[in-house]
Amino acid sequence: MDNLDYIDRYFKSELNSVQAIEFENKISSDPSFAEEVAFYVSAREAALEISINEKKQHFKEIYQKHHRTHSLPLRNIIYYLSAAAVVTGVIFGINIISGSVTPGQMADKYINEHLQTLPVQMNGRMDSLQKGLALYNDAQYADALGTFERIILADTTDYVAKTNAGLSSFRMKEYDTALFYFKRLETYQNLHVNPSLFYQALTLMERNRPGDTDQAKKLLQQIVQQDLDMKETAEAWLKKW
Amino acid sequence: MKDTTLMDSAGSTHDSDQEIIKQLKESGIDRRKSEEQLFNRFAYFIREGISKHALTEDESFNAYSDTILSAIININNSNFEARSSLKTYLYQIFHNKCVDLIRKRTSNKNSVNRSGPVSDGILQMSDNARSIVQKLIDKADWKLLREKLNQLEEKCRQILLLWGDNYSDREIATLVLYKSADVVKTSRLRCLDKLRRLYKVE
Repeated sequence: MDNLDYIDRYFKSELNSVQAIEFENKISSDPSFAEEVAFYVSAREAALEISINEKKQHFKEIYQKHHRTHSLPLRNIIYYLSAAAVVTGVIFGINIISGSVTPGQMADKYINEHLQTLPVQMNGRMDSLQKGLALYNDAQYADALGTFERIILADTTDYVAKTNAGLSSFRMKEYDTALFYFKRLETYQNLHVNPSLFYQALTLMERNRPGDTDQAKKLLQQIVQQDLDMKETAEAWLKKW
Repeated sequence: MKDTTLMDSAGSTHDSDQEIIKQLKESGIDRRKSEEQLFNRFAYFIREGISKHALTEDESFNAYSDTILSAIININNSNFEARSSLKTYLYQIFHNKCVDLIRKRTSNKNSVNRSGPVSDGILQMSDNARSIVQKLIDKADWKLLREKLNQLEEKCRQILLLWGDNYSDREIATLVLYKSADVVKTSRLRCLDKLRRLYKVE
């Protein structure tokens, strides 16, 4: 840790010129220190690469949602529609026979039924929270998230803003950010309603990285066992799992 | 390509350029949003890549998103001097990337450019120290390092990604709701230490 702090200060130009020369001399004379410096630089570069890839993925989602023009020839469209109809029919048939749906399908259904819009107060007052909710309901999720995050900055204990920041991130498919906010809700023990675990499970079901559905299942089981909010939905989902 | 920004009225393009550049450079919490705004603003370049350079949609999208990402890095590092409009600047980068893609496609070369702003950080070192560190960096197992980074606890991962993306500790504190930049620095170095131990075990 001490060396990492020293290395960090060098790269942030916090060392004076004499200390910087000492630092560089240490690289030449101490191979293990040189390795630590190389690790520091490599780790930052790896972090940048992951971050860039995630941004690129996010850009792709925005592009597909807002900018993509569909210019497939009619013959191809008919072909794809026919193929899709057959595949859908087969999946539908299998689901009817087996009575099972995938976690992702259950999550999609829940989102369509419950998270398309959030309730806005009808008293005409347009405070920041109402503004954020209006943006959310208008599918302007990035702006909604910005609004909720500003509320959180002003009051770090605001439970409602954190819930809505999580939901906005979720709708933007920024699942890591959504999980970050939903996890923070766990600390609010004395609330009448706290769907923290349920929203975490829902996010994991949608994110669907390796291990996510198992983790989601465990959370749903925890909701049922501890009789927490959204127990009925959790039970229903577990039966179909 | 005709620079239509020259025809815009009352310098509004210049003003909105300045606004977006300011947001990209200064504000931690609005930066993500301004990156999206920048992406959305010139996303029609993708269609131009398809029609003018005969790229596939995927290729054109990649050229465009790489353009935006490198512009963001340049703006952050103050390498964009605003001598031209953002549109002209971005179109130049985009055009070059399209041409590179076509060349790569025809010569079937696959180059990986790993020289980002981070490894540029070692440029400040003396020749001897830089050459030692560069040799060690060249030996790094990037795949393993990325894997281990992704395996870190979510908060650690998030802090390190923001650090890699050149956010200051103060900005990270705002984004991850930590009390202060000092708390972020301690956590960040702890996470880095954890990553090092995970990486060394392999």
